[in-house]
Formats: sequence, C-alpha cells, structure tokens
Amino acid sequence: MSKFLKVILKNLIKGPSTIKYPFEDSPAPEKLRGKIVHNADACVACHLCEYVCAGGAIKMQESEDKKGIDFVVWHDTCTFCGLCEYYCPTKAIHLTNDYHTAHLQADKYNYVEKTFVKKQPCTCCGEPIVPISLAMVEQIYGKEGDIRGLSKMCPQCRRKILWKGGVSKL
Amino acid sequence: MNVAEFFVNVFIFPGGLFAIMLGLLLTGLDRKIYARLQRRVGPPIYQPWLDVVKLSQKETIIPKTANYTAFRLAPLLGFAGMLAAIAIIPVTGIYSGLYQSGDLLVVLYLLSAPALALAMGAAASGSPYSSIGLSREISIMLAYEIPMLIVFLTVGMRVGMEIGGTAIFSLSSIVNFQLSQGSLLLDLPMLPAFLAFLICIPGILGVVPFDIPEAETEITEGPLLEYSGSGLAMFKLTGGLKMLVLSALTVALFFPMGLGSFWLVNLLWFIFKCVVIMFFTTTLIRAMQARMRIEQAYKFYLLFPTALALISLVLTAISFRI
Amino acid sequence: MGELLQNIVKKSPWIYRINAGSCNGCDVEMATTALIPRYDVERLGCRYCGSPKHADIVLISGPVTAVVKDKVLRVYDEIPNPKVVVAVGICPISGGVFRESYSIANQLDAYIPVDVNVPGCPPRPQAIIDGIAMAIEIWRKKF
Repeated sequence: MSKFLKVILKNLIKGPSTIKYPFEDSPAPEKLRGKIVHNADACVACHLCEYVCAGGAIKMQESEDKKGIDFVVWHDTCTFCGLCEYYCPTKAIHLTNDYHTAHLQADKYNYVEKTFVKKQPCTCCGEPIVPISLAMVEQIYGKEGDIRGLSKMCPQCRRKILWKGGVSKL
Repeated sequence: MNVAEFFVNVFIFPGGLFAIMLGLLLTGLDRKIYARLQRRVGPPIYQPWLDVVKLSQKETIIPKTANYTAFRLAPLLGFAGMLAAIAIIPVTGIYSGLYQSGDLLVVLYLLSAPALALAMGAAASGSPYSSIGLSREISIMLAYEIPMLIVFLTVGMRVGMEIGGTAIFSLSSIVNFQLSQGSLLLDLPMLPAFLAFLICIPGILGVVPFDIPEAETEITEGPLLEYSGSGLAMFKLTGGLKMLVLSALTVALFFPMGLGSFWLVNLLWFIFKCVVIMFFTTTLIRAMQARMRIEQAYKFYLLFPTALALISLVLTAISFRI
Repeated sequence: MGELLQNIVKKSPWIYRINAGSCNGCDVEMATTALIPRYDVERLGCRYCGSPKHADIVLISGPVTAVVKDKVLRVYDEIPNPKVVVAVGICPISGGVFRESYSIANQLDAYIPVDVNVPGCPPRPQAIIDGIAMAIEIWRKKF
C-alpha cells in the first residue's frame, strides 16, 4: 500500500502525460500502416495485390469502355496488413502513415482509393495493353541489347520478337 | 424559528440548493484529483453539473418488470434523506443546525436513507444484477453501521460526561463543547474513533475498495443498472450530497473550529476542510486500492474500524471511571 | 435555450461498448482510449459506463455473429434516446476478413442505424477519439 502511495504522489508531481489529440495533431511513426495510396503509372495490373489481399479490399476490373483498368481499395474492409505492398513487383502500392480513418456513415461506400490504369496500344500489333516499366523489362530480359522497345509491347509480340532474335533485328 | 427561516435553511442555504452545488463541487474535485493522481488530465471540475443536466434531458426507461411507484420513488427517498441530514448538521460561524437535542441519532438514521433507497430501487427494478447489488449493499451497510454507531456513542459519551454526567447526542452541544474546550481530535483517547469514522466514509460513499454493490465491471453498476435519465441524475445528486454530509459530519464531530467571525471566511474554511477530508478518505484510497470482495469488505469493517472505535470507547469510559 | 443545452450536453457523452463477437483487438484499443493516461477520453467529458441504460454513444466492435445478433439488438434497444452508434473496426462495418463466413449474420448497418465508422484492424486510439468526436457532433444535434 505504501508502494502505491509513493507512485501516485509521484504521478501528482509529474503532471499529466496526456496528449492533446483531437485539438492538436499527433504524429504517427514512419512505418505505421495506414491508408493506402496507389500509383497508377507504376502499376502493371498483375492482379497480385488482389490475390493476396486478406480482407478482399482490393478490386481490379477492366473498365466499361475497355480503355484501362479500374483499381479500387475499399478502406472499410482493409486490415492494413501490408501484404499488397510487400508483394507488389513495381511498388505501386504504398501504405502511408495516415491513420485518420474515422468517417460518417454517408461516406461508407465512398471511402476508397480509386485510380485508373490506362491501356496503350501495343507498338507491334495495336492490341490495347498495360505497358510495363523499364525496370521490369530489365528484370525479366536482362540488360543486354536494345530492350527499351519491349516495354510497350503485348506479351505475345514480345515473345515473337525474342524468338526472332531480339529487338535490334526488328 | 419561524417558518420562512426554516424553508430558507432547508431549501436554499445551507441545505437544498447550496448543498447540492457544494456536493457537486466536491464530486468534481474528487474526479479531477483522481485523474491527476493517475497522470491524466481528467474532466473539468464542473463536469458533475453537466452530467446532471444531460441526464435530466435523456429518455427515462422503466423496465416492464419494475414496480413503477417504488422505482420512481426510490431516488427521491435517498435525495430527501440527504437534504434533511445536511439541514441538521451545524457549521461553525454560519449555521447552528435545526434542532437542539438528539440530532446525532437522526443523522445516523438519515445516513442509511441513500443505501436503503438504492436497495428499494434495486428491488423494484426486477433485474437479477440489481438484486445481487441489493444484497451486497445491505450487507456492507450492516458492516459499517456498527463501527459508526460506536463512534457516535463515544463522542456523545465523551462530551456528555464532561457536561452533565450522561451521554449527549446533540450536535450543537458537541460543537459548542469543542469550541470552548478545544477540538476532540487533540484528545488522545478519541483518536482511534476518528480513524474508525474516516475508514467508514468510503464504505458509506461506495467508492473503490468498497464499491462492491455498484461494481460496474462485474455486475454492471448493480442497483443503478435499470436507472436512466432523471432517476439516475437524482442518484448522482444524492452521491454528491452524501459526500458533503459525511465531510460536514466529520468536521462537526471532531474539529469544528471556525476562523474569525466573518461568515464568508468561515464558509471557505469549512469548504477547505471538507475537501481535505474528501481527499484523504475518498480520492487517495480510490487511486491506490483495488476493489475488495464482499466478504473481505464485511470482515474488514467488522474487524478494524470496530476494534478502533471500541478501543476509543473503553479508553473514554476508563477516563471517566464508569 | 436549445443552443445552450447543446453546448452543455456535448461535454458529457457517456460511452458504452458492445462486443458483437469481436476478436478483442478493437476492445483493447477502446479500453486503451479510456484507461491509458496518454489518451484519456475523460477530459472530453466521456465516461465508460457499465450499464446500457446510462449510455449516449455506443461503440460496437465485432462482425455481428449469428449467435450474438439478437443480444446486440436487445442491448441496443435498452439504450435511452438520443443515442449515436459508432462502428469500431472493419468487422462491424463490412465484415472484414470474416465477410461471407457461415457464422456471420450481416453487416451491422443492416440491423442498426450506424452514424460513424472507424475502420482499422484495430484502429489507432487516436482514430477512435476522432470517431467519438464526430459522434458527439451528431449526438448534440439530436437534443
């Protein structure tokens, strides 16, 4: 009992340790997994994030006009586990440290991160595809030769060209 | 005493309105200091007023199983008992009390009014949790009434033997005796009785080591479970008044000294004494103790305060050679 | 008078927690907001109460399992008006990782009018405080 007396009297002298949160912002640690942002330019639409998502929060669907792919994260069913960021080959998905997730019921179905991944015609056959980044191409085909042109082709055309002997022979 | 003065004393000052304000102030201070002891900011001191206003605006739900009359009447009963008690207790330099003889016994009976009201409300509400709370409330009441009675007897005997050769249960004579002869606290045989009375206070108030009847984590606030809205507001007011009555009673029984003759100084001095008593009996104990079980509390009250009070009684009796 | 009452009332919201089959993660975070000195909701006038009849703001966690559904509805009905519901965690909002499970009845807002959602698994204590602040704003307008 005397031990507790000492503790609480010390507490009285030290003063409150409460943060002033709703009236003053409280910084979050850098590594905190909060709301998701998606970089549509880096995305290759591989659907890996959709596959690993534990809460089923990520949805990738071809848009109605078939000009690209709709990417949607519904934060109301996201567990903020970070698996999508871990498995993303191009690091297009990033979990920010923004934790301000409270919202009104009216916004329930609008509480999403929505981006549009645009399709471009294949430089070889004209089929609309999602271009892959140069870094990806290097990762797959190595750094030798002229591989720059491969990044804007559809997989079939890439295969054909490589069989013929590389981009330089085109 | 004429009728107008009586009504002013009971309903405005020092009973009634003023007592309610002071009681809520004590509750607010208690919550604030309690939070500070735990390194929290805590609610503002005026929080109990806000709570009472809010509760009075909320919907009042009466359970289907409840006895309507008893359920609605119970909060009023405890509240009225406490209002009557505060009008009886004299405050030095401000107020001399309503009656001149036997009022200590009346206070003893009135002090059990809130507990009985709680028990009545709990029985009327028809909830199983409430009935567990009711049985606990009554058993802890039985436990703390015994030492309290012995303390009153000791004080009455100590003062009465000095004045007239028989025990006196008049608060005004006890206060006047101390004003002329010095505080009872300076008298060594009375010290155990004082301690015993202080130990009884948290039990009567029902705060943490002895809040077994209202344990919110195990029996979800027990007797208060079915109360909502204005009935609950009444119980909150009664809680504040109970704190005031007990501090005022301690002041009147053991150190009623005033400070000069100006009434405002006396009033502030009285409030200061009340806050000090509240801090040591309620806030400090609440912050460092965990809740007891009912049989532990029962044993505790029948052992320590009763033993202390009995020591005091015997010492007083020996000093008068009865 | 109405304005004054609203200003008084907004400083005294009492909070009640319902666990609708939660994994206890959100419950711990809710207890944290109340009990740990760092977050202390009591400075906003809040108080966690043990009885639903004393409550103003209800925090519900858990995916509303089929077994607990009727009990949640019953406890919700016992809370006196005006009341505000806050769904804490992704489970009551959408079902979260348990969505479309055989033991989940439906989302919470299929049974009870929800006012504020605080997603997270579990949400940060600061996010819960945010949610409570939003709920207070809604609640005071009901007086």
